[in-house]
Amino acid sequence: MSDILITKSSPPQSALLTVWGALLALGRGFGRQLWMATRTPAGRIGLPLVALHAIIAVFGPLLAPYLPTEFHLRDQLSSPSWQYWLGTDEYGRDIFSRLLSGARSIITVAALGASLGIALGTFVGMSSGYKGGRTDEVVMRIMDGLMSFPALLLALLVLTTLGSNPQNIVLTIGVVFTPRVARVMRSATLSVKTLEFVQNARLRGEPAAYIIFKEILPNTIPVLTVEASVRLSFAILLASSLGFLGLGVQPPSSDWGLMISESRRFMTTAPWIALAPAAAVATLVIGVNLLAEGIRQAQHLPLIEEDISS
Amino acid sequence: MTTTQTNNAPLMEVENLSVTFFTPAGAVRAVRDVSLQVQRNEVLGIVGESGCGKSTVGYAMMGYLPGTTRLGGSIRFEGQDITNISATELRKLRGNTIGMVYQDPTTSLNPVMRVGPQVEEVLRQHTRLSREQARNRTAELFESVGLAGPRRIGRRYPHELSGGQQQRGLIAMALACDPHLLIMDEPTTGLDVTTEATILDLILDLKDRVNAGIILITHNLGVVARGADRVAVMYAGHVVEQGPVRTIFKNPRHPYTAGLISCVPQPVTHEGEDHVLRNIPGSVYSAQEETKDACLFASRCPMATAQCTASAPPVVDAGDGHLSKCFYWEQVNSDVWSAAETTQSQAKDPNAAPILTVKGLHHFYGTPRRRFVFFGPIVGRPVRAVVNVDLAVKPGQTLGVVGESGSGKTTLARNVVGLIHRTSGDIKLQGEDLGPGVEDRAKGQRSAIRMVFQNPTSSLNPKLPVSHALMRPLKKFQGLKGPEARERAAALLQAVGLEPGHLDRLPGELSGGQQQRVALAATFAGKADLIVADEAVSALDVSVQAQVLNLLKQHQQEAGTSYIFISHDLGVVRYVSDDILVMYAGHVAESGPRNSVLRPPSHPYTEALLSAAPAPDPDAVPTRIRLPGTVPTLRQAFTGCFFAGRCPRKVGDICDTTPPPAQQGPDAPSHVIYCHIPAEQLKELQLQRSNGKQDEVSISA
Repeated sequence: MSDILITKSSPPQSALLTVWGALLALGRGFGRQLWMATRTPAGRIGLPLVALHAIIAVFGPLLAPYLPTEFHLRDQLSSPSWQYWLGTDEYGRDIFSRLLSGARSIITVAALGASLGIALGTFVGMSSGYKGGRTDEVVMRIMDGLMSFPALLLALLVLTTLGSNPQNIVLTIGVVFTPRVARVMRSATLSVKTLEFVQNARLRGEPAAYIIFKEILPNTIPVLTVEASVRLSFAILLASSLGFLGLGVQPPSSDWGLMISESRRFMTTAPWIALAPAAAVATLVIGVNLLAEGIRQAQHLPLIEEDISS
Repeated sequence: MTTTQTNNAPLMEVENLSVTFFTPAGAVRAVRDVSLQVQRNEVLGIVGESGCGKSTVGYAMMGYLPGTTRLGGSIRFEGQDITNISATELRKLRGNTIGMVYQDPTTSLNPVMRVGPQVEEVLRQHTRLSREQARNRTAELFESVGLAGPRRIGRRYPHELSGGQQQRGLIAMALACDPHLLIMDEPTTGLDVTTEATILDLILDLKDRVNAGIILITHNLGVVARGADRVAVMYAGHVVEQGPVRTIFKNPRHPYTAGLISCVPQPVTHEGEDHVLRNIPGSVYSAQEETKDACLFASRCPMATAQCTASAPPVVDAGDGHLSKCFYWEQVNSDVWSAAETTQSQAKDPNAAPILTVKGLHHFYGTPRRRFVFFGPIVGRPVRAVVNVDLAVKPGQTLGVVGESGSGKTTLARNVVGLIHRTSGDIKLQGEDLGPGVEDRAKGQRSAIRMVFQNPTSSLNPKLPVSHALMRPLKKFQGLKGPEARERAAALLQAVGLEPGHLDRLPGELSGGQQQRVALAATFAGKADLIVADEAVSALDVSVQAQVLNLLKQHQQEAGTSYIFISHDLGVVRYVSDDILVMYAGHVAESGPRNSVLRPPSHPYTEALLSAAPAPDPDAVPTRIRLPGTVPTLRQAFTGCFFAGRCPRKVGDICDTTPPPAQQGPDAPSHVIYCHIPAEQLKELQLQRSNGKQDEVSISA
């Protein structure tokens, strides 16, 4: 009663700390989930596949035997050999090298796009779900409206108006995914919101942002992790589709979608040109999906640390 | 009645049963060593705290155990060992000669099937009855379990029935094929006291009517005292004591049993001193621990000696089939758990100026709905959850609020703390108006009123450590931060009997009782003037319940905090309260000082609640006032008395047409009864009913 004057923490600083703390908790939770996933068969296949792609994305250009844009005019459309492991394309560029150096752009774009979508969707969905009532109704109907556009159509619309560059692709993927993530996170919030510790926090007089990010968010990590991995695999597909349609990275960059698109004319004579990037996209998407499945299954495993031996 | 005849082979005989579940988290020894028998026409009660293996014994008798289970010992049903018979034979037993009633009727019935066909299905599975015959038999069964209009009930879906009706339906289903053994796993736990009483009556009635043995598994000693002939007390997978119900309750021969009995607040109106509830410290020996050659109860036992930890006590026969698993069975009496301490109920000023007053509080859920949204007749009216409630809480005192579920108790509590916004009415804290929501209230007012919730598991954030729950209110209300707050939090934990080391644990690593104590410590942290406890002990075991109740009382004496204590359990409310408010269908039925409310004259509803609560005393004469049905959901104001629809003392048309006047009770001016029957006449009627039975009520009156 007498200590109303004592609290002096400036609001913006504490809000920042709150968000930082929430992010830390999120990261810890995510790492734990990944580790748990290796205890399921799906996770055991998925995690190495994803890890392999991640390694290629980071070190690919260093490992490539040739420059991805280097023309070997005497070796156009040659089939796989010791010299060119996966063959060459119409200009005699080494497919293997192009594959290795193309991984970075697609994975970066997809990961950033998915992250943006998840961040926006989480914010919108959780705030809307926590607020409830009329606000929630309006926000969710807007999200439904956005969601009624087919993903690719919306992406084409944004890219043709804003122009195609990597930042815009990331933005597009983020915008396309926001309503989908928002819907999932909203329902997760609704189920946590009714629990008594949230009411307890309200009775303490905590601000809404604190309740949403500090109290509710950590309890939605299982949902969030699965949603994140599903979104990532869709982002890869979307990014390579955009590349295929010529709206992604422009030639002569070695984008996987673009590589498939360029190979169409030689499908009958040199199928390996299409096969290699297609396989790369497929394994990445399958890997991410398996990992997601592994994480989902791992959530039903009992939470134990080391003492499985007994 | 049952006299155990030795030449009679037991119906069900369990010998040295052990059940171990192998889970990814390690072996769970749910049942360690259980031997018991059930005869025909006998009710065997199995009691114990949660986690003692009661239900597992029941499931083992049905052969309902998963494949990852290791079973030891034997289970002989009518001479046949069912631990190693084929699945087909087992299926014939289940539902046919052994029937089972589960705890939660809402999940035990198929929600998409009408109730009648569900019973018919059982009949057609196990007998050769035709469809028509099965339907007739179902109607008979429904009638025999006291469901009025059996054919009509059979055409209903489970959600259209009340909890009591669902439980009756399930009992009918279990009885469908005239089972020889009926296993009831917590059959009354999810039900209101009034419904519980009617279901217990039914079970007792069944015992005499059907030629079957009944196993009644429950944590509620009152239920066992009313219903069972013999009792087996289980602790950590062992039967620690077994014997005839009277002997067990009057003359327990195991300290655990004695402890359990002294944990229960007496629900009947014994006048005079307030005794401190005794409690069993600690929690149940975990099923994940190895079975060791020692008494597993030793760590919680006040009588334990070196012998108890050195070897396991044998099962001793104390005479007349009364078995105890204790070295010192002869020394056990009710005083082993500290002497019968009585606190001088502190002189509390009944006329003190109230700290909190509520005047004319209304809370309606929803808004009126019209047929065509904006015009047309009104088709949906709001639910009248709380109607015109007045109350006052005095400083340092406790106001108990009782009523069945649906009486508006929780809505009242949420309005007081500001979780929901009241429809109308005034709430004043120390003379100052309180805004409708927490957000509208001044910071000092927020810290002055705190709340304890029912479910300790969900009232603490499972992802944040205990320290968060304690340090956050300290920071919010007292501006304490960092090491200072941590120190204070540790002190708070110690005050509720936990160690400072618990600060860094996650709530999931604590037991239910420990969690509730953390929640209490968090409420005490704000130095509140008023704590609203909404069913704060309902989800806890009796031993833990006693710990928490004593903690609340102790805190009140030290800090002078006031409480609004909400519970459906009249015994608990009687133990903690100075004043009692009885609610029915959102209305106040009666309010006043504790002893005036519990003593005649009482409102007929209070009287019914009092007589419904089962006492943990087999000799308590069950008073026969039963309320059929449930609390109605109200969308329209009553024209007459709110209780008229279920009142056993209804006097006539006046009850249906005129709202009851507020009458003053004879003993205290603050005692108010809302009833048409004059107080003197009520008193006379109620004394008449309790005449014949030796009751302090009639003597002291």
